[in-house]
Amino acid sequence: MKRLLTHPWLTIRVQIALGAIFVVAALPKIADPPSFAHMIYNYRLLPSSLINISALVMPWVELLAGLALILGAWRAGARMVITFMLAVFIIAISINLFRDNAIDCGCFNVADRGKTHEQRIFDMKVDVFRDLGMLLMAGQLWYAAKREEKAT
Amino acid sequence: MNFKTAFQTVALIVAGIILAIVANAFASRDRKMTLAGSYPNALTVPSHETAPPPTAPLPPVSDVTTTTAPASATTATEPTATAAIETVGLNPAARNPMATTSTAHTPTAATSTAVTSPVPTPHPPLPTPDEDPLKRFPPHPDKPYVEIAFADVKWLHGKNVLFLDARRTSVFEQGHIPGARPYSVWESDIDDKVKKLFDERSDPSQQALPIVIYCSGGDCEDSHMLAQKLWGIQFNNLYVYKDGFPDWQQHGAQVHTGANP
Repeated sequence: MKRLLTHPWLTIRVQIALGAIFVVAALPKIADPPSFAHMIYNYRLLPSSLINISALVMPWVELLAGLALILGAWRAGARMVITFMLAVFIIAISINLFRDNAIDCGCFNVADRGKTHEQRIFDMKVDVFRDLGMLLMAGQLWYAAKREEKAT
Repeated sequence: MNFKTAFQTVALIVAGIILAIVANAFASRDRKMTLAGSYPNALTVPSHETAPPPTAPLPPVSDVTTTTAPASATTATEPTATAAIETVGLNPAARNPMATTSTAHTPTAATSTAVTSPVPTPHPPLPTPDEDPLKRFPPHPDKPYVEIAFADVKWLHGKNVLFLDARRTSVFEQGHIPGARPYSVWESDIDDKVKKLFDERSDPSQQALPIVIYCSGGDCEDSHMLAQKLWGIQFNNLYVYKDGFPDWQQHGAQVHTGANP
């Protein structure tokens, strides 16, 4: 099982898939920072002064980390960034689920889709599960890297 | 975490910051943002409002409010001037619109009524076409804005009152209320626009003139945010079109497209 989980065949595919997801997620945010800022505002977790700078910087860091994973360069840093971001997303969405603050996640699309409160709450639960899945993918990368380090 | 991981992590973040700042510097006007925004209630969770139970049917609104709307648009439950909702009763010292009471009343004291009450209330006299907007919509310096519904908005539109569209400029260009100006709170030039408006209306008597602000209705707060900004610089007669542009379209009222008001 350990060999299967850390097999280079699996690791390279997980790495590219996770990288691609982050690149795809970053592009609409880079294209329209004000809409992404609006999404961040809706989370009601960041002070006013940090909303714009987060909306500007976060997508670029996402893009760079995603590209690094796809290209296989700076994998350790990219893994760290992506794991941290996924943890932040999961916590942020979960807090808002707990507070019954229905929001659009803004993960892959920054346009307001005019959903109802119930639809948004349902989507947020799906988003948490999706992010947990991605966190598992990141976990596989960490595990494989650790085994690789031990072997060398 | 070893040195390599730490270095790469920091390098990725720094590269991201540099790229973000450069990209923002070269971004088009409606994509650009100030690095530090100012958004009231950024940490305040809005309360989830469920739709109130249907109220008693109201008679159709006056001709003044439905001249360009199709007959079918004036439904029995359409809010009239009597049902304009003020959800913001602010303490000027606190200046926090979320800490409000939901007592309902109209801009004019004579027409106050509670919209959540299922008991039908008597209707005030309908507005006359030549009535002064200031008489019907007097300044309210103690609160940043008053929410109004289509009937009042249409009436004010007929009086050539200033309309501000708080949605994104790209959305504004796809369709807006005729005469409205684009004032997106999310775009970098909002402070310049607000300053320009202040210069245009620097006289206190001009600042007391009604201004209607709208966005996309529903849970859209951009119009409220813009009202807060304007209220902060002495504009004291601001009205937020509660149901926003979708409601305007639903009523079949005239719509302009393009960048010009």
